[in-house]
Amino acid sequence: MPKMVSQSALMVSPLDLAALVINLVLANVRVIAPVLAKDNPEQTDYLPIRGLEDAVLGGPLPRRSLKEFFLPASEVLLRYRQGKKDVEVEEVRTTFPPQVILGARPCDAAGIEVLDRVMGWDYRDELWFGRREATTIVSLACPGVDACCFCTAVGLGPDSTKGSDVLLVPVEKGYLAQAITAKGEALLNREPMEELSVDAAGVDKAEALWKLAREKAPENLPPIPPTMPEWLAKNFNDNFWNSIALRCHGCGACAALCPTCHCFDIVDEHESYKQGVRRRNWDSCQTAKFTMHASNYNPRKTQIERFRQRVMHKFSIYPRRFGAILCTGCGRCSRGCPAGMNLPEVLGQLVQLAAAEPQGGSQ
Amino acid sequence: MSELSELAQKLLGDGSVKVVIGYEEGPRGVRPVFVTDPAQAGKLIFDTRCVQNLAAYLNPRRQHVTKLGKAAVVVKGCDARAVAGLIRECQFKRDDVVIIAVRCGGVVRDPAKSPELSIETVADRCAGCEVREPKLFDHLIGTLPPRPPQSSQREDKIAELVAMTPAERWAFWSDHFERCIRCNACREVCPMCFCVQCTADKSRPQWIESSPTPQGNRAWQIMRILHQAGRCVDCLECERACPADIPLGLIAKYVAQAVERRFDYKTCDDPLIPAPMGSFSTDDEQEFIQ
Repeated sequence: MPKMVSQSALMVSPLDLAALVINLVLANVRVIAPVLAKDNPEQTDYLPIRGLEDAVLGGPLPRRSLKEFFLPASEVLLRYRQGKKDVEVEEVRTTFPPQVILGARPCDAAGIEVLDRVMGWDYRDELWFGRREATTIVSLACPGVDACCFCTAVGLGPDSTKGSDVLLVPVEKGYLAQAITAKGEALLNREPMEELSVDAAGVDKAEALWKLAREKAPENLPPIPPTMPEWLAKNFNDNFWNSIALRCHGCGACAALCPTCHCFDIVDEHESYKQGVRRRNWDSCQTAKFTMHASNYNPRKTQIERFRQRVMHKFSIYPRRFGAILCTGCGRCSRGCPAGMNLPEVLGQLVQLAAAEPQGGSQ
Repeated sequence: MSELSELAQKLLGDGSVKVVIGYEEGPRGVRPVFVTDPAQAGKLIFDTRCVQNLAAYLNPRRQHVTKLGKAAVVVKGCDARAVAGLIRECQFKRDDVVIIAVRCGGVVRDPAKSPELSIETVADRCAGCEVREPKLFDHLIGTLPPRPPQSSQREDKIAELVAMTPAERWAFWSDHFERCIRCNACREVCPMCFCVQCTADKSRPQWIESSPTPQGNRAWQIMRILHQAGRCVDCLECERACPADIPLGLIAKYVAQAVERRFDYKTCDDPLIPAPMGSFSTDDEQEFIQ
């Protein structure tokens, strides 16, 4: 098996990494990294840092994904004001000051790349791409998997570079940094760094760790077969949907935590009788209101249809339209579910059902 | 086969119910299960990880569950308060459900972690529990385990809140509510949130901003908790569901204590005792009418 870490990788000492962070912060670049959660010392959140000492690199998977740094839970699209004759509209800026995300999980970085496809599809989302262009993502290879992880089932892995500009691999004397994009290269060349030889033993150790992760993650869910999107589409009305999501309350915590759930609602909110703002806010297909028509008719009447929609969008509709699964296997939906719904379990059942079917499909 | 599984098998077998809502060992700890086939009754379990309030599935908004037909539900004494609440508020009749109550010695906070009960792991609502031996049931099973460790963590936190000035308290909650992303998970998992049209979803007129802004968040959280006054059963499903980890159980308890002080009422498992917000008494405090 070829080495995952390229020979061109650069060794970065912790001191140099700390200096890079300080210089970025001094240059008014927002640096975001996992830090200990204020309300829970066992958890981390992606938050702005002022120095490397604030960051927890290689700790647990942060509670929420990176999507809020590109698609905030709420953002202003425009402001309006009733003038003497017309409505004056003030648009928002679509360019953003530079920011660096340090220590992103590879699964979170991948989620951003997956979302680029829908954000640049029939309409180019200027706010999304404005933030994308302003951001450099430095991922840190994943230290290990737990019972909810299934990145290998959706074509990713602990050292996946999808969506990253730089991949850092922790080794004994520091980090091996591999530039993935020109943006990543520019970041690594920003400051002069001490010349260090590549820690070959450290690389071997990292490779061994990933090998273990690659063996462990498929136990949670084997790779999803490429025929899955078509099979799901064909079995839209199958009976198995009726029993698959009984315990689901439809609370939508999964969608809030998901790195790839990106549906939003647009609302106009008045600040006074003369002026107001148009905002877009995260929304979730798991609530009844999501598809409620003005006539009071709801095509997704119960949680059965709503849960099916979530699976369909991620594993059938999106892959068929954009060629990518709308899931990175991060497992946050399973860890956050108050009712014990488990996506790898559901997907495993679906994969089995598909495999048990005679060739040619059910119809 | 356990007493619980045998009972479930009998109820399903003789057609008394179409589904038994209970607990099973899932891939990540204990979780709800819906048994419709008597042959599957063996998977039902009950232990200290049976945290979830299964009465939530009796809420008529869970149409995907209610359409299965008449249900038997496994409840702890505290969960029975939610069943009583739903009957009290006319969401279904007492005869529409078979209540399997289990004698309970407390549960842990996290159904995905160790079953061991300790002062660190015990759920907040087990402090001061008076319903280890449930009173509302059709079938009462199990033997009474000892009292769980009594954690004063939430009481201490409430004492801290009470000692604060109103401005400090406002700052405390504003800080927590700022994290709210208005996903409404708290409302959707709540056994007592059964309004077909929630005020927060109304758009003509819009009473509450749907955006996660400090103003809208406070309005939403305050409205929800006031609507829960004297109704909240303290199951903490909202707190467990919240993806922003807001301590919703703390504010719920704070309000419940105010209701108890003012109206001498605690949410209880007797559906015939009227709730203060759903009844009128000439003895109600009226000092706010000047």
